Amino acid sequence: MGDAFDLAAGWLQEHLLLPLLYLLGLMQWEDVSYGWALFAVYGAVQVAITFAVCMPLERWRPVERWPDTRAVTVDVLYTVISRVGVLPLFTFVLFYHAQVALNGFLADHGFVPPTLERLLPFLLDQPVLTFIIYAIILDCADYWRHRLSHMFRWWWALHSLHHAQRQMTFWSDDRNHVLDDLIAALWFGAIALAIGVPPLQFPLLVLLLRFLESLSHANARVWFGTAGERLLISPRFHRAHHGLLAAGQRSCNYGAVLPWWDMLFGTADFGRDYVATGDPTGEEALASGSYFAQQWAGLRRFAAAFARAGRSPIG
Amino acid sequence: MQIPRAVGLALWLLLLSALPAAASGLAFIINSGGASISLVDMSSLKEMGRIPLLREPHHCALSPDGKSLLVGDTVGNEMLFFDPLTAALQKRMPVPDPYQLGFSPNGKFLVVNGLARNQVDVYNAASMQLLKRFPIASMPSHLDYAPDSSRVFVSLQGSDSMVAIDLNRLTVAWTAKVGKTPAGVLWHNGKVLVADMGTDYVAVVDPADGHVTERIHTGKGAHNLFVSPDHKVIWVNNRVGGTTTSLDASTLAPIRSYAIAGGPDDIAFAPDGKLWITRRFAEKVAVLDPKTGEYETVDVGRSPHGLFLSPKGIAAASVAAR
Repeated sequence: MGDAFDLAAGWLQEHLLLPLLYLLGLMQWEDVSYGWALFAVYGAVQVAITFAVCMPLERWRPVERWPDTRAVTVDVLYTVISRVGVLPLFTFVLFYHAQVALNGFLADHGFVPPTLERLLPFLLDQPVLTFIIYAIILDCADYWRHRLSHMFRWWWALHSLHHAQRQMTFWSDDRNHVLDDLIAALWFGAIALAIGVPPLQFPLLVLLLRFLESLSHANARVWFGTAGERLLISPRFHRAHHGLLAAGQRSCNYGAVLPWWDMLFGTADFGRDYVATGDPTGEEALASGSYFAQQWAGLRRFAAAFARAGRSPIG
Repeated sequence: MQIPRAVGLALWLLLLSALPAAASGLAFIINSGGASISLVDMSSLKEMGRIPLLREPHHCALSPDGKSLLVGDTVGNEMLFFDPLTAALQKRMPVPDPYQLGFSPNGKFLVVNGLARNQVDVYNAASMQLLKRFPIASMPSHLDYAPDSSRVFVSLQGSDSMVAIDLNRLTVAWTAKVGKTPAGVLWHNGKVLVADMGTDYVAVVDPADGHVTERIHTGKGAHNLFVSPDHKVIWVNNRVGGTTTSLDASTLAPIRSYAIAGGPDDIAFAPDGKLWITRRFAEKVAVLDPKTGEYETVDVGRSPHGLFLSPKGIAAASVAAR
């Protein structure tokens, strides 16, 4: 299956991107453009699979029904921008040179990012197992990024955009402020530097993880049973994180794919049952504004919070 | 009249040697996007196994004694040494950003280009001790040497230039503009040829000072170039045009153009006269018969880049089984 997606990315590169780069005199970016083509194709497939699975689930067992779903339409736009279009391109171009410069500086000073495979050579023959271990490490890192984004007033000003949605669906996973996405990219860039994580080595598994993240936001009465809830994050578990009473620092269930970190660090709550979502403390533009209105409101709140104070937990 | 047995045998051997050799052996195809090496049986054109590497390998070079095939894993910051006959791993060694690599003709130096880190490293080939690092902007890409090993010429993809490094003094001899996005480099008849990927030509460069004396038009995105084993033909891969162009090595006049879709990149020459060409975006290798213009394809991993043909190679059972 992966081969077909790779070939689609190759086609995009050969017939669209290369001629464009050649025309613009930017052929030195050809490797980066191929990376982006892979990212975009796998992103499009992610969206398609998520839609094909989650939409029937939401129709079959919805938690809520809404007469007007315009707010959801904005989330669709977020998803497309985040998974297929502008954001990956921006991230690739912006971070490529920054990463290269930083890697080079560190290498000149004797630091080459360690890899799991070097520490545990038997993993070289076990690429899937290696990826699963990397995925667990990254999921733990994401738990802490997410938890911190609720703790700092300035960060919450950005992240509250994600929580403002009262009509949460599988499309809501990518509903983030661009600065929040940027911080996340920096966060994972730093982790990648520390553990030498493979970027596009296992796109099908990345696709699966992103699918699970989207599924956890679905407007569906779905849970995985008492044991299953403790293995993988379900829509029921993650919905508690988006609950009206869980906005800001009061929140719980910060995990993205695995609930283990919430269980380990004392933030798991398995007791809440399909609560209403949203952030009652946020402004209306964040919930029902257009894409740009949401981004502008987030930026304004971020500037105000940042001006007010550094590390001040919100209540 | 009966032909004596010994004479008959001699005639048979003579006949065999006159025929093109069958391309048996082992091909190493480096999948840069798949972080692996595909091992291909050169007779059946079938992939026999895949060796997993760390992150992003690109190119390879045979050691001067022919006993090791060095493969650079750029993002993995690692050089891997393989037995070119069996594909058995001999050793791994930390080397920062080994993108393109090549041994000098006298076997004394190994030059490693760090494309991502803007550096050219010169190693003592015997000890693998780093003699000097040249921080050079930007994107040091391909390389070739003067036949007397006095200089190495490196294309700088990000700054439209080429740098010549004096290997005796370990100093930069010159840096000069040679055309847009230069990639493949080849020393040929007292000149340096460089394929300018941002254009449709190969620039002919004076090795004394780097000035361009001539431009040979081959096809859009001229990317890499190789001389045939008999030194009669120069082969140029044109990345954007999706073609491979043959040039008369004595006159540099174009002879023929072959359509090779999927981003043609590196070339290796098989004993049967066929060209093995990696097709970066098609996950395939084209095995081109230059006489007919037809090619067969070999399925390999993602983004095949560098390659090496080992006509006497047979993959060790443990390697081929992967």
